[in-house]
Amino acid sequence: MMISPSLRHVVLALIVFIWIVPFVALITTSLRSEVASKTAGFWTAFTPTELGHSFRTHEKGQINDTKVISGNIFERLNKDTSNFPVSGTVNSILFKGRIPDPNDPTKTVLIRKLVPAGEIMDVRGGDFVFETNGNFTWTFSELSTPKPKKLDAFIKQNPVFGDDAYIEVLFENKNVPNALISSFIVTIPATIIPITIAAFAAYAFAWMSFPGRDWLFVIVVSLMVVPTQLAFLPILQGFSGIASWATQLKQWLTDCELTNSCEVASKSFASLWITHTAFAMPLAIYLLRNYIVNLPKELLQSARIDGANHLQIFTKIIVPLSVPALASFSIFQFLWVWNDLIVALYIGPNNATDKVFPIRLQNQLGTFKDQLHLLNASAVISMIIPVIVFLSMQRYFIRGLLAGSVKGG
Amino acid sequence: MHSIRPVIAGNGLAILLTVVFLLPTTAVFAFVASAPIDDLFADIGVWFHQNYQWKFDEFDTIERFTKIGFALRAIIISVGISFLYFWISNWLNHGLARIRSKGSIGKQSLVIESIQPWIFVGPALTLLILFLLIPAFATLSLSFQEADGTPTVRNYAFLWDPSALGYMQFRLAMRNSLMWLILVPTCCITLGLLIAVLADSVRWGIIAKTIIFVPLAISFVGAAIIWRNIFAGGGIEAQQTINGLTPSYQIGLLKSILGHPPSYNEPLYNLKFWGNFFLMWILVWVQTGFAMVIFSAALRGVPQDTIEAATIDGASPYQMFFRIKLPQIYSTVVVVWTTLIVLVLKMFDIPYALSANDDDKLLLATMMENARNNWSIGGDNVDNLFASIAIMLMLTVIPNMAFNAWRIRREQKEIGH
Repeated sequence: MMISPSLRHVVLALIVFIWIVPFVALITTSLRSEVASKTAGFWTAFTPTELGHSFRTHEKGQINDTKVISGNIFERLNKDTSNFPVSGTVNSILFKGRIPDPNDPTKTVLIRKLVPAGEIMDVRGGDFVFETNGNFTWTFSELSTPKPKKLDAFIKQNPVFGDDAYIEVLFENKNVPNALISSFIVTIPATIIPITIAAFAAYAFAWMSFPGRDWLFVIVVSLMVVPTQLAFLPILQGFSGIASWATQLKQWLTDCELTNSCEVASKSFASLWITHTAFAMPLAIYLLRNYIVNLPKELLQSARIDGANHLQIFTKIIVPLSVPALASFSIFQFLWVWNDLIVALYIGPNNATDKVFPIRLQNQLGTFKDQLHLLNASAVISMIIPVIVFLSMQRYFIRGLLAGSVKGG
Repeated sequence: MHSIRPVIAGNGLAILLTVVFLLPTTAVFAFVASAPIDDLFADIGVWFHQNYQWKFDEFDTIERFTKIGFALRAIIISVGISFLYFWISNWLNHGLARIRSKGSIGKQSLVIESIQPWIFVGPALTLLILFLLIPAFATLSLSFQEADGTPTVRNYAFLWDPSALGYMQFRLAMRNSLMWLILVPTCCITLGLLIAVLADSVRWGIIAKTIIFVPLAISFVGAAIIWRNIFAGGGIEAQQTINGLTPSYQIGLLKSILGHPPSYNEPLYNLKFWGNFFLMWILVWVQTGFAMVIFSAALRGVPQDTIEAATIDGASPYQMFFRIKLPQIYSTVVVVWTTLIVLVLKMFDIPYALSANDDDKLLLATMMENARNNWSIGGDNVDNLFASIAIMLMLTVIPNMAFNAWRIRREQKEIGH
């Protein structure tokens, strides 16, 4: 290229930077406290940032007849919680109260004012002074028992991270573990079954002769671009027909009426497996057939002469030789099913415990609107498995991509 | 030959009937028989719960372990049934052929050979017919019906009748689809080419490519959540946070860079019209890796002698790329382009996750969902409207299919001559 080598590095680094920033945002937000994540952007998490915190000067009944109350703002803030301890420098405290009106000494006015460190402010008749390190003294002219006062401090807070959001979504919130299990229930059969069925079909299309083979293959491959949305309603109607039939059968065969459990759901894991299997067929058959057809033909012939039948040839010769193609398609299918939203939305189970992860995430965009740390932690958990699978089997994935696109799908 | 036809038909029918009745029965029986496994898992869960003193409710533990038990047996049974099909039908095929051909080896293998392919392609073809072909035609006929089944063209009225439900939405969806169609593939391909070329010329290119590639593994909803951190609006109202006046910041990076005050807390993707571009960018971020990987492989496949010849002729690097390399990977660019176009036309997740009910951000797929969920005010034909929009979606894909078929045929002809 005309551009100089150093410019190449700069341009590529810039693009990579743009690609990485959102991941940094995701992980940073998931490791912050709730207040921090929803009041200040993720980029402020790495440097001291001024945030507001409220603290009580003391506990009720802790102070009796004293002239001076002293303490530390940070100790007060951190006394109840070991998570996300606050440290840093106290910039100011918000003073809300009445002072004599400068224009009319007989009246008072309500003011809100930020009081810096070292300046005396009048709190419940006492002089309240604090330092930037958090130490405060509250001095009264005579012995008194003041009620605890809640004050808002603005603290230039040091960076602090914690895994609380992960603990919360994994162990305290039922939805994320349920979504994880549901996603596994859906994904594993919806990966293994289509690859089994497609491998047999691909073998037949590649190496067996039967009437109509070639045009059947063309039809199968051309179904690849048909939008799946086109099929949802009739499939749904079909499954609800089967479900009502199964309900009647169950009524007839078992005593389910006693426990009121006759209803068979039309949208279930099983319906999702079958639908995913059907939708995966065109690409799977196309990829596998193109691979199997290029295996050496002599293998088949010599095995036939030795008296092997097609099932034996398939299991003993074709499957071991096709491992790369099988692997690349299973990664495709695994990622596709794990990340699928629309098929699960229309065909999959819709009760709260059985929702798959993408639907759960979509719901959490609403429910965790103000708990961004939880939203992001949940998203990270949903991504861990596909990203690990993807990175560890990248080679096979790329091979599948190339076979699917470069040869013209 | 004449005597063999009935044998083939009879054997085929016998296999079909056996499979159709045996497999579902086996599946149901296996599910019922293996039900106690769920309780076993629940007991294991309770044991863990008590031994390790888990903090959350014991009921949750039981529920979750029951579900894991269900998951395991569901996976084993469903996968087992699909293997069982091939084993049983193959066994039946051989056995029946041996019985019916009365010792004639030639006849026996002929019967086996003519049934075997259909055993292998049978499940795949059945699934495709039941779950894609028939439903597609059923949707077509549904789209020309009222809810009670009487024929009508009312479901397509949004095409011409300004007072019809969906008239405005359809125009917005088409406008947005057109913008997505032009911008997303163009950006992905340009960026993909740029990255492929740059990454191949620097030593840390492989790391760069991996990073660009990772978003492909992430769900679109996940990508939407990721980019929400960048495009979001200002921090929440101060009083809501903690009983006081908290300094409120822009929590979205891009809005902060643009200098928007925290009080202006509309996310960028909610902007009227311009919001669409932020949604598009999310898809570009996900799909650029796909374009990059394919271009990177295609560029490496450009014959070395053409490059050497151009170098000898004194081609500048610029000419080298645009005159030598690009024309040779032109067909790959077209393939990536058509793949991305189909992807964009079917796009659903990103606008659904971030701006589900905003007519200004509609695409055809989200319009279908809206029609089914929110348009019942217009009558009870929401399902039929859903079908008619699905047909419109299919129509937008057809030119692409036709172009693809034409291109493949031409390529094959070129190879043939």
